[in-house]
Amino acid sequence: MRLLAAAAVAAVLGSLLLGEPVVLFTGTELEQVVVWQLRAPRLLLGAVAGACLGTAGLLLQESLRNPLAVPELLGVSSGASAAVGVCVASGVALPGAPLTPALLGAAAGGALTLLAVRGATGPAAVLLIGAAVGSACQAVLLAATAVTDSREQGVLVRYLLGSLTGTTWETLVPVGVGVLLAVPAVVLVLPRVRVLRLGDDEALSAGLRPARVRLAVLGVASLLVAVVVGPAGPVAWVGFFAPRLAARIGRPSAGTTALLGALVVVVADLVARTALYPVELPVGGLTALAAVAVGLLVRRRA
Amino acid sequence: MRAGWRLCALALLVLLCAAAQVSVGSTGATLGALFGDDAHARTVVLELRAPRVLVGLCAGACLGVAGALLQSAIRNQLASPEITGVGSGAVLGAVVASVVGGVAAQPLPMAGAALVGGVLGGGVLWLLAGVSGDVAVRGVVVSAVLVGTTLVLLTARPQLAGAVSRWLLGSLVGRTWEHLAPLWPVALLAVVAATLLGGVLDVLAVDDDHAHAVGLAVVPWRSAVLLLAALATSGAVAAVGATAFVGLLAPHLARRLVGVAHRHAVPAAALTGAAAVAAADAVGQLVHVPAGAITALLGAGVLVLVARRTGGMG
Repeated sequence: MRLLAAAAVAAVLGSLLLGEPVVLFTGTELEQVVVWQLRAPRLLLGAVAGACLGTAGLLLQESLRNPLAVPELLGVSSGASAAVGVCVASGVALPGAPLTPALLGAAAGGALTLLAVRGATGPAAVLLIGAAVGSACQAVLLAATAVTDSREQGVLVRYLLGSLTGTTWETLVPVGVGVLLAVPAVVLVLPRVRVLRLGDDEALSAGLRPARVRLAVLGVASLLVAVVVGPAGPVAWVGFFAPRLAARIGRPSAGTTALLGALVVVVADLVARTALYPVELPVGGLTALAAVAVGLLVRRRA
Repeated sequence: MRAGWRLCALALLVLLCAAAQVSVGSTGATLGALFGDDAHARTVVLELRAPRVLVGLCAGACLGVAGALLQSAIRNQLASPEITGVGSGAVLGAVVASVVGGVAAQPLPMAGAALVGGVLGGGVLWLLAGVSGDVAVRGVVVSAVLVGTTLVLLTARPQLAGAVSRWLLGSLVGRTWEHLAPLWPVALLAVVAATLLGGVLDVLAVDDDHAHAVGLAVVPWRSAVLLLAALATSGAVAAVGATAFVGLLAPHLARRLVGVAHRHAVPAAALTGAAAVAAADAVGQLVHVPAGAITALLGAGVLVLVARRTGGMG
């Protein structure tokens, strides 16, 4: 745990100070602006995104008892990004955008998956149906990208993978609102998920209705994902490996998972920002590659 | 002989679709313009619409055959180019080619790069899953990661965003005779070879013990079938992009129409695939979206139905 805290401090300092220009102690006015107006909000959004996605992944995986139940494979992420993308492409400005379309899209994608899953047997079917819904949403987003003019295509591409470019303090206002809503919801739903993890029969005998808990989990996960997708796009696969890493270091609790998710995204964004300067990689690309590595490791252990 | 007649009817339907699509468009030129003396209408039909329709038909046939081959060889009704990593690998290959070679990359090297990518994508899944029950789930993950890698490449050439999203989706906009040249031999080879392999496919689709019992060398035949599927997929992807779920949809429709014997089901899958792409392109032109968006939405529905019926393991 001490190691984790040290890593977190190092990541925060690194994200604030490293890059072009390297700032050791804030000196000139320009450097002040770079650190506090450009890097700090970006760091904060990255940390919130990682924490939200990690928690969403944990909730979904535990409630469906499936290590592959992640926002990407349940239509939640792609529903959110498709909704935001279509709004951007068609120029419709909903009040509270981009949080509201992302929330609606995430809930719609997840609900569509749950509806389609109704009565289907086996975890494999659930995931495949989720993947089908996900790819339908992705097709909508891609179609929106293909028909818009090139000026907005850059904006839309971030909703395909996720990127923290261009975060300002204003971006963070709806994120803050979303997090304020999400935290009590997570606290409420978490103990029930812990019971559900033991099995449907155990949950029934403890007085829970598994179907209802799953629906609640889906709602909370949609909120968590929407908070991230609105400003940054679905930072890919963080919800897959943050719970894995937490389990690996022996602390599969929500707090550790959120911390690890935040750490992963912050470090990945630091690399994305500085590795090929001045070209900036999308942070979602790096997390996707990290997911491959984690997936292969898990595969070898299994 | 009923299956034979149905095949003929299907072929006639595809021809009618194609003829109708050549005749419909914003300029009012029809198929008859070929024999008239209006030079403008002749150009529209001959240089714009005809290659587009033919590319769509060939690509659809390729994808349909690839789906039928994969479903038999992997013994999973959900196997299709986009679920086995072959399709997304081919897209990745083609996008690498266009990032390295610029937008003006030639169709032939593009097809080669797509083939390499498709074989690699399928190979990754093969290493991870082999022929096992959860091949579909693992394949979805492999596909998702390959698509992610494709998107990372976008950062190298942000101006390709529109082109890449067309690749990932599948679109027939601006296809010319140049794109048809490498595609039609692949389509012809795939359809003929797969039809001739019908008996082998029937045996592979049952189980390995049965195959051994009738004296079929399973491993080499299965590898050959998978390679042929990768070839057909990458030909189609290099020409039009991913065109999601045609390879899943076509074999299911084909089996409904002409029965499960691959001697009939393979050509029927080719025809239904061709009809699906042509029809999706026609609808897409009406509502101004790429053809792949239409097939992805329809195909997602079919995937849901099949996954429900088979529990994801079929």
